[in-house]
Amino acid sequence: MIGRQTIDDLLNNLRSDPNIVHWHTIPKREAHYAPFPDSLDLHVREALVHRGVTSLYTHQAEAYQAVMEGKDVVLVTPTASGKTLCYNLPVLQTIINQPESRALYFFPTKALAQDQKNEMVELIDEIGLPIKSHTYDGDTSGSIRQKIRQAGQIVMTNPDMLHASILPHHTKWVSLFENLQFVVIDELHTYRGVFGSHVANVIRRLKRICSYYGSHPQFICTSATIANPQEHAEALTGRAMYLIDRNGAPSVRKHFLIYNPPVTNKQLNVREDESYAVTRLATDFLKNKIQTIVFAKSRLKVELLVSHLQKLNSGRQDRAKICAYRGGYLPLERRRIERGLRSGEIIGVVSTNALELGVDIGQLQVCILTGYPGNMASVWQQAGRAGRRQEDAVIIMVTSSNPLDQYMAGHAEYFFSRQPEAIRINPDNIMILMDHIKCSAYELPFKKGEHFGGQEVDELCEYLTGEDVLHFQREKWYWMSDGFPANTISLRSAAQDSFAIVDVTDRGHAKVIGEMDRFGAMTMLYEDAIYIHQGTQYHVDELDLEERKAYVRKVNVNYYTDSDLAVQLDVLAMDQHANFDHEQIEKGYGDVSVRALPTVFKKIRFETYENIGWGKIHLPEMEMHTNAAWISFSPDYLNVFGKDVFQGALVGLSHLLRHAAPLYVMCDQSDLSVVPKIKAPHNEKPTVFMYDKYPGGIGLSEKLYQVMPSLLNKAIEMLENCGCEAGCPSCIGFVNEGRSAKLALLRLLKDR
Amino acid sequence: MSLSKKLQMYKKQLHEQNRLSHPKKVQAENPHSSLESEQISEISQAAKDLGATIKRFEDQMVLVHSERLSLDTKIGPYALRDLEPLLECWQSGYTQHPLSGYGLHADDLLFFDTETTGLGSGAGQMIFLIGLARWSSEGLMLNQYFLPGPGHEAAFYNAFLNDCHSLKNLVTFNGKAFDWPRVKTRHQFVRDQVPKLPSFGHFDLLHASRRLWKNRLDRVGLQTVESAILSMGRKQDVPGKMAPFLYFQFLKHPDAQLVKGIIEHNREDVLSLISLYIHLSNKILGRIDSDSEESYEIARWDKQIGNTEHAKEIWKSLANGDSSFGLQAKRQLAILYKREGAYRTSLDLFESIIHDHGNEDRSLYIEAAKLLEHQFKNYDQAIVYTKQALRLLDSIKTEDEQERIFEIKSSYLKRLNRLDQKRLGKYS
Repeated sequence: MIGRQTIDDLLNNLRSDPNIVHWHTIPKREAHYAPFPDSLDLHVREALVHRGVTSLYTHQAEAYQAVMEGKDVVLVTPTASGKTLCYNLPVLQTIINQPESRALYFFPTKALAQDQKNEMVELIDEIGLPIKSHTYDGDTSGSIRQKIRQAGQIVMTNPDMLHASILPHHTKWVSLFENLQFVVIDELHTYRGVFGSHVANVIRRLKRICSYYGSHPQFICTSATIANPQEHAEALTGRAMYLIDRNGAPSVRKHFLIYNPPVTNKQLNVREDESYAVTRLATDFLKNKIQTIVFAKSRLKVELLVSHLQKLNSGRQDRAKICAYRGGYLPLERRRIERGLRSGEIIGVVSTNALELGVDIGQLQVCILTGYPGNMASVWQQAGRAGRRQEDAVIIMVTSSNPLDQYMAGHAEYFFSRQPEAIRINPDNIMILMDHIKCSAYELPFKKGEHFGGQEVDELCEYLTGEDVLHFQREKWYWMSDGFPANTISLRSAAQDSFAIVDVTDRGHAKVIGEMDRFGAMTMLYEDAIYIHQGTQYHVDELDLEERKAYVRKVNVNYYTDSDLAVQLDVLAMDQHANFDHEQIEKGYGDVSVRALPTVFKKIRFETYENIGWGKIHLPEMEMHTNAAWISFSPDYLNVFGKDVFQGALVGLSHLLRHAAPLYVMCDQSDLSVVPKIKAPHNEKPTVFMYDKYPGGIGLSEKLYQVMPSLLNKAIEMLENCGCEAGCPSCIGFVNEGRSAKLALLRLLKDR
Repeated sequence: MSLSKKLQMYKKQLHEQNRLSHPKKVQAENPHSSLESEQISEISQAAKDLGATIKRFEDQMVLVHSERLSLDTKIGPYALRDLEPLLECWQSGYTQHPLSGYGLHADDLLFFDTETTGLGSGAGQMIFLIGLARWSSEGLMLNQYFLPGPGHEAAFYNAFLNDCHSLKNLVTFNGKAFDWPRVKTRHQFVRDQVPKLPSFGHFDLLHASRRLWKNRLDRVGLQTVESAILSMGRKQDVPGKMAPFLYFQFLKHPDAQLVKGIIEHNREDVLSLISLYIHLSNKILGRIDSDSEESYEIARWDKQIGNTEHAKEIWKSLANGDSSFGLQAKRQLAILYKREGAYRTSLDLFESIIHDHGNEDRSLYIEAAKLLEHQFKNYDQAIVYTKQALRLLDSIKTEDEQERIFEIKSSYLKRLNRLDQKRLGKYS
């Protein structure tokens, strides 16, 4: 057997690899320490020393100081920088000083709350004082719930639980709300888009209840690196925040490599699939017992990569243990994997972004990213998983062929100097706001003239009175309905009227495998569609619009389906608009009505993407009001380029904008739609609309309006960066008149 | 864009959203409520129509309907007068029972029922009607408190709490899980203005009724118990689930007719509680006859609260009878005797069930086998019984619970092997 290669050997091999398009070295960072604060209790100090902590990092000391001074604080901390102590120390110290004070922690998932509770309990045990810390979520047994409500000093939960269980039953939590001193919000960056907008309203409700019981808790938030931590924390909590972003934790030297897979089809400019490259690279490390984490974007990809990687064990005695880690696993299973990673028993793990969050798996040596994860915060969160002890860490990002990935591969200096994206929420989205006005009125009646999230809500209450939900009496609006509003409002699903996806493969045992919002259902669950759920293909037998159910059956076919939507866009109100580029281009922002009618679907073969059939979709039109940003061009271009070519150029521009948008706002593909119109109804100009795919909007298109010229410039760069002739997935996609359309678009944007 | 402009623009979608979260909502006939100023006089009129007095508290009010019923009034099979001798009967040393009136007098009891704006348990559901009855030697005082609107809760709870502070024990139907927690929740909102909640004892008649009659009733509700057990009937009752809707209508247009039915419903509920408490107590105390199922369940309840002697007594007399509960009673007795160390009596009982009734219950054979093995060292007979249990297990044809059956089977086989070993040891 050949001797093992070290990480240095492997790095040397990579130096001569032609596919490495960039090699970036991040120097080692020394730790910056600060002594324990004077006011820190002796028991706590001893416990810390006992655990090997003899001083604090500067950011921990700064956080302690700021919190003890009564400030609302937001901390920006990279992975593994000791952020928990930043909030645990001031919270524990306060409880030691005044045992009646309470803290409420909330985490985006139950698993994280469980982790944090275990860590907290260990620390409390070492401190040796009777401080009660518990998780309170769906798994908490009924027998201890009452005890936690009455006497839990630190309660760890999640926003969904707060929304549907704690706040609507606040009368059972009087001692918590009367004495609430701290609200700790961990992983702030996960509260974005629709979910974040809901959570901001849950916090408004929480604050309302606190003030009813006479408490005024401080907020302590922690976030991964994003462009606007302070702004985001302020939007979420409604408080002015003190920002701490000077990190004092050390880090080892890191090699960050960008690997662009080779082109395999020159005509179509198609590159080797990134999973192959990832498998190759990871195998080299794993074979040599170097602990490696691979990130992939979907659950399906994760499973695929694991099965590829496990092949390296065939014929070897010395088997390397490789696991998948993703949402949907049972807690016990996840705990086992986390333990295995910390102990080193598991050598390789392939994960979705589930491991981006603060789950404790220790530090690994190598981290491989399958494609650009879509935002810089994720890049650094994932990269932060590599970097143990004294050894150099290696991070390799393998780029895919989509435009954004290719742009990053071609502009590495841009990539490394890039600011992280901004997170957007829109707590005043009327649909979401109204949901929470209901929940809040259920919890406490609204007084006339009362504010919710900074604005008076009398009109909304009056509206709800007309809807027979509230009743006005003696200057207050009371909940007057037999319903329980929090039950019908989910913080995480896009819209309330969601469709259940029912698997009827086994007629006798039909089961619900998932749910989807109406818009999604109409575009993905039409009859005869192939719907892919957790890597399994299903055929849609029936879509029942009345009952909101889609009946699906497992199949195994070699194609997927894609629907065509006829989209009608009408501008209802234009809030802002301006011309730029010498009055050549007009941009606008406002409320729009989107009417979509699914018309036909195509069947597309997996391997070749060829169109192998089609069918009609028989569904009614859907209407949604939301926010949109748009850019319009002069109709003269129609004559300059010809209608077909110009249409192709507009479609191509939409493709580019869709991929460039995530450079400015953190969002998923499904959050934003980009639709070209050769003649927009409101101004009769060729226009590309970008709208938030949620009724009322969640702030994405508003941000895109603000950054408009710069967004357009990015699109041009992406276009120029691509070497293809007639359009490819890395630039304008495949459009009619590809060659001419690409040239037209170049001229259109360059000649501005 | 201003909130009100947004509201206008999104009205249609918002309405759709509301409709979705309350799909089965009955649409109100009169969409607009009368003015608040008019409502004051409408409420006074309603109070008159209901024969209620208006009690004021600070700037709030509550409607109170009071009546005194003669002790000769019959509620189903009992007269109100029967409550006093019943309580005397409870004094004869029977203290541990959950329904025991030991130490209480008839006028310590508070028969209590509420009507609410919904069945949910959150902070937003209100109680709008409380009915309570208390006994005195001059007659039964029945008070009903009606909340004329959500802004009057302090007056509502103040009146109720002032009238019940001298009482000691609640009697309700499902009040432990439903009515009283709701009182606690709403009391939180007015706790600074009104008296504290007293800490009561509590007889919940739902639990008792479930124990005795769950097998013969589809649903153990107060009204089913009334008609099936107490042979009472109600004329023109307003179904409880209509109550929230009628009350919401009343809030918009105070009119006595809307809530008259609910108030009558609540009154009958409270009165039924008295009759039901007497009836249940009579059964438990053996003052009236019980059928074999009732007796069996009363004994089982006794056993659970530690009153084994009483349970034994009942089971013994059941075991001598020929009802289907005789068998179960024997079985219970056998278990009790085993626990007390009366192994011979216990084994005799198990064997008598096996032999006399050719029982299909395999656990009986195992129980007998255990006694034979551990107490009587009779391994041969123990083997016979274990084999019979195995045969019964093998005859199970269902596909369900394969795993559990497999586990049971392996435990039987283990027992069989051990018995074989012991038998060999004994003979060698």
